Amino acid sequence: MTDDTPLLEVRNLVKHFHVGGGLFGGTAGIVRAVDGVSFTIRRGETLGLVGESGCGKTTTGRCILQLERPTSGQIVFEGSDLTTLSEKELRPVRRKMQVIFQDPYSSLNPRMTVGQIIAEPVAVHGIVTDRAKRAERVRELLSHVGLLPQHAQRYPHQLSGGQRQRVGIARALAVEPALIICDEPVSALDVSIQAQIVNLLEDLQAQFGLTYLFVAHDLSVVRHISDRVAVMYLGKIVEITDRKSLYDDPRHPYTKALLSAVPIPDPELEARREHIVLGGEVPSALNPPSGCVFHPRCPIAVDRCRGEVPELREIRPGHRAACILA
Amino acid sequence: MAILLDVRHLSTQFQTGAGIVRAVDDVSWDVNAGETVALVGESGCGKSVSALSIMRLVAAPAGRIVGGQVLFKGRDLLTLNEEEMRRVRGREIAMIFQEPMTSLNPVLTIERQLSEGLEIHLGMAGADARRRAVELLAMVGIPDPGRRLGQYPHQFSGGMRQRIMIAMALACNPSLVLADEPTTALDVTIQAQILELMKDLSRRLGVAMLIITHNLGVVARYADRVNVMYAGRIIEQGTARELYANPRHPYTLGLLHSVPRLDEPRRARLDPIEGQPPDLTRLPTGCAFAPRCAFRVERCAVERPPLVPIGGQGHVSACWEAERLDRTPALR
Repeated sequence: MTDDTPLLEVRNLVKHFHVGGGLFGGTAGIVRAVDGVSFTIRRGETLGLVGESGCGKTTTGRCILQLERPTSGQIVFEGSDLTTLSEKELRPVRRKMQVIFQDPYSSLNPRMTVGQIIAEPVAVHGIVTDRAKRAERVRELLSHVGLLPQHAQRYPHQLSGGQRQRVGIARALAVEPALIICDEPVSALDVSIQAQIVNLLEDLQAQFGLTYLFVAHDLSVVRHISDRVAVMYLGKIVEITDRKSLYDDPRHPYTKALLSAVPIPDPELEARREHIVLGGEVPSALNPPSGCVFHPRCPIAVDRCRGEVPELREIRPGHRAACILA
Repeated sequence: MAILLDVRHLSTQFQTGAGIVRAVDDVSWDVNAGETVALVGESGCGKSVSALSIMRLVAAPAGRIVGGQVLFKGRDLLTLNEEEMRRVRGREIAMIFQEPMTSLNPVLTIERQLSEGLEIHLGMAGADARRRAVELLAMVGIPDPGRRLGQYPHQFSGGMRQRIMIAMALACNPSLVLADEPTTALDVTIQAQILELMKDLSRRLGVAMLIITHNLGVVARYADRVNVMYAGRIIEQGTARELYANPRHPYTLGLLHSVPRLDEPRRARLDPIEGQPPDLTRLPTGCAFAPRCAFRVERCAVERPPLVPIGGQGHVSACWEAERLDRTPALR
């Protein structure tokens, strides 16, 4: 279960991308994909990271994994700042951090069998060097994720979407990680299969004491799986708190609109329910609005919001929101 | 209400390397004028092929409509020749697809694409077509329509492109729009905008809609009647209110129970539907859902249950144990 020591601490993370297109390969602009994001994840905890496409949630995950080197800020994992480590120094750390992707089909090598896919990280990281023992380990991992030993001989295309995602999970588990970044792990799956995978992730967390960063846009699934939730908009966290406070008493107008936009499978309730439909679209991260980045779409914005960048401030213990009116 | 589209015993097959796939297998449903009907189901259940069959756009020679009737305003579309069918597509029945970027032509301006249908179907040209195009863009909420007409699809966001698709679909005042996962590729807040727009336009213009989706929440918010499909067949049919309040097929029940809901207390565990989606080339002889069904009895493996009426208001279910479901206390 969760204890209080942070496993991961993200401090002031910034990731800017320079967009080409200027004459002679110059820079035409800067995409502020992640713009000053801070949060911690305690050991054994699940932090949900929600937001719409382009909000920077996936880039945040990639920066934590050091697949992208941050522009500035710190990623403190088990006490050491990963941004200061060399590639070689990072290698043992990578074993501790794994990722599960949205589309298991494009993240599994089509020319490798399931057994080879799962055995590869075990061999690369030198966890099990003996070939026979490695096969044994593969069988064990398959059973952890609800697959059968004979699935080891299959190729990814011979599996269903749900089974492929199980293979992706087994591959992540193979190196006995502490942290798994789940990047939209169920959104490409059929509704009837999503619940299977969510339950599996929860079982594995309990069994192996895993810590999850659960990146997703589906607020109902995030509520189910997360202990705490951070909401991102245009590269910034606009609200972060424990699950109950976020869903029972959201304070940021963007969080409120997101929750209201989720249709509930009950026609009678939907007919009665009031919907906040936000106008406009998410602005470009190339040229974010002044002041509060949400103000052009915000139903309650006042003049001050145009000029003043709201601080992510504590509204009550453990609940922070970046809105001057929250 | 007058029946606008009456699909009777429609069957569409595909010849694949692994054998014949009955993508749509003896399926019947209808849409009344001005009404919104949903076809719900997971990937491969036959919902998109149903729409393509109505438009007669199933890719030959692999795909073939092998039986049934598609009565639109009383006329069987399956008996029309290609020329007559062209006058139906876009003019009387229009279609909106999931991914607007792949259904818009990237090298033509929005004006060119919008006025194509107006020219072909309504004989409009020049200033008239342009006026109508501006009017359509304004109607779907695109700011500054006069200027934006001259732009190309890549200059619009995903939500805006889907608005353009809706404008194109409505250009010739069709009486029916088939919308295949119209908001699946969009973000939550944009999805809400597009769905509200479609609902508003269908009411104002009296257009009937067929929404094809896997999202039970979207159906609950927008559809009057619902058809649930599994493995090429309709397994339950009814008004949205009746079907959600009183699901009488284990698959419908399972779908409703497997999704976490924001309006209910968080459950310790989700109740998934066990097993894998069916392999359409090797369907069991009995009920296709039986291998995953919690209510399965011996009969299910050998005999396929027909759709039979349950309760009123056209609620039908294809399950031998539909009566037992009624007495099952809510699982949650």
